Amino acid sequence: MAPKKRHLAPLLLIAPALIVLTVFLVIPYLNIILMSFRTPGNGVPYGAGWTIANYGKFLSDPFYLFQIANTLWIGVVTTLVCLVAGFPVAWQLARGSNRWRGLYYGIVLAPLLIGIVIRSYGWTILLGNNGVINRALIGAGLVDGPLPLMYNGLGIIIALTHVLLPFMILPISSALQGVDPSLEAAARSLGASRAITFRRIVLPLALPGIQAGSMLVFVLAISAYVTPALIGGLRVKTMAVTVVDALIDTFQWPFGSALALALSVIGALSVIAFARLTRTKWKAP
Amino acid sequence: MTELSIRGLTKLFGATRAVDQISLDITNGEFVSLLGPSGCGKTTTLKVIAGFEHADAGSIAFDGNDVGELPAEKRDIGMVFQNYALFPHMTVVQNLAFGLEMRKRPRQEIQTRVAKLLDMVQLSDLAERYPRQLSGGQQQRVALARALVIEPRILLLDEPLANLDAKLRDEMRVFIRELQRRVGITTVYVTHDQAEAMAISDKVVVMFGGRIAQMGAPDEIYDRPRSREVAGFVGRVNLIDGKVSAVTEAGCRLRTGFGEIDIACPWRPANGDSLTAVLRPEAITLAPTDATGLGWGGRVLSAYYSGNTIDYRIALTDGSELQVQTFPTRRFQPGDAVTVMASGASFWPLAEAS
Repeated sequence: MAPKKRHLAPLLLIAPALIVLTVFLVIPYLNIILMSFRTPGNGVPYGAGWTIANYGKFLSDPFYLFQIANTLWIGVVTTLVCLVAGFPVAWQLARGSNRWRGLYYGIVLAPLLIGIVIRSYGWTILLGNNGVINRALIGAGLVDGPLPLMYNGLGIIIALTHVLLPFMILPISSALQGVDPSLEAAARSLGASRAITFRRIVLPLALPGIQAGSMLVFVLAISAYVTPALIGGLRVKTMAVTVVDALIDTFQWPFGSALALALSVIGALSVIAFARLTRTKWKAP
Repeated sequence: MTELSIRGLTKLFGATRAVDQISLDITNGEFVSLLGPSGCGKTTTLKVIAGFEHADAGSIAFDGNDVGELPAEKRDIGMVFQNYALFPHMTVVQNLAFGLEMRKRPRQEIQTRVAKLLDMVQLSDLAERYPRQLSGGQQQRVALARALVIEPRILLLDEPLANLDAKLRDEMRVFIRELQRRVGITTVYVTHDQAEAMAISDKVVVMFGGRIAQMGAPDEIYDRPRSREVAGFVGRVNLIDGKVSAVTEAGCRLRTGFGEIDIACPWRPANGDSLTAVLRPEAITLAPTDATGLGWGGRVLSAYYSGNTIDYRIALTDGSELQVQTFPTRRFQPGDAVTVMASGASFWPLAEAS
């Protein structure tokens, strides 16, 4: 085979993915960037001129700034809840007996097998004022009136945690699998209690997994649409919901594009900041 | 320095008796090896001593104080693991300092002691490296230093040389032994390599199936094994079956298929007893048949030359085979007729019924 043709082989291999990404991701993104600098149109998607007013409108309106803060807050809390709830599960997956491991993985992945709309409606049945949980609590005489479980941040966080847990559990579990149990024995033999062994040995070594899981969950949480839209209702809106409102309901394509870009940039900056903060000198092999 | 005393130690895994009624005393500064095939309970015994496993019965005492209920971190042991178990996210210095930090020693003291130990294991230059930047032998020395820097009461080593190549293994064996002598620490060493156990230990404990088969000084185990299993595990061996045909002052005369031999015997056997005697391949000499009238006739079946020695398989007149190891001063070829000779003192009768 001629050497020239051999050079083409890698290119040919990635070509399909490259074409799909370019057509369906890069070009639309560029389009959104351009769109965000358009003037608003009247009856048409956008006007003839160029402007930065879309960004000005967003940055000067406390309503949108509050929404950004609220979205980030929901993302942070969901990430923390997933971390706290997911770590023990990841530990069990990594260190538990082999016999049930397949079943455990199935259970962990189960939330992903249900369609997102169905899953979110399921939560509305559980969390609503007239939902299963509130009726049970009232019926048992534990509360007088329904607890506010839906149409607020709490409901969104509960539902997001449910679906995003696997994205936290799997990377942590795989990181923990790479931590040799004899390291824990070594730490114990050197005088470290179980708690100190966990903090000084296991946790730092699982950190790459925690980082990966946290970034995944955070990014997915702040960009989630269906769950916040259905569970937050009209009262609590995240950025993703507002973006769709602007694009579809009020037909403000340029402004919606600016909001969407702002969400992307803020999300990316948050992830970079997080990665910087949790960076370690030590590199996993 | 610490005396270790184990009494009736038993550890069950389900229905399996991984360690079965082991009793063992190790005196101050002694180097003891637990030797046996995999699954013999040697590593489990070590884990129970370390506190990683809880004994189902029996006791373990350091200097007469029972430690059975102490968790691993309170036992004050130094342990070296087969895969070294160095903390990958800590430098060499941080690995060494960890145990002292757990003991809340002042920073100044930690620095001095870590530096001293690094010097002892000749790794001062590599203090700021991470474990993955070190060779196997260097990692091994860090693991040793990390276990010793806390000045533990007892040093436990779990097959520490198993992951090293042969040449390095011999060097490290000497290194570990000299370091242990210098520090003077009571040491328990687990291995399945009989040559390693022989070379490094004051006392060897041979284990099979969770029980102690025999313990004693290395030469005692090698020269005077109590059973076929022990004899076979600690080296290559010829087992010679015979019947006692006469009882002499120091031993007896054994009638075998290929001739009669006079052997030493520590007890007085009765005429007609069946006996099995152990004869090590290197205790045998070979000579050309025409040389003397002594010895037994045999024929060389195979000869393998390995530099400093030659390993032969010899067929005796009754068809039985002997393994023989000699220096290559004189070489025989397969098919050669030879005279096989061994002194009566080199036979060791097994006490077990044959």
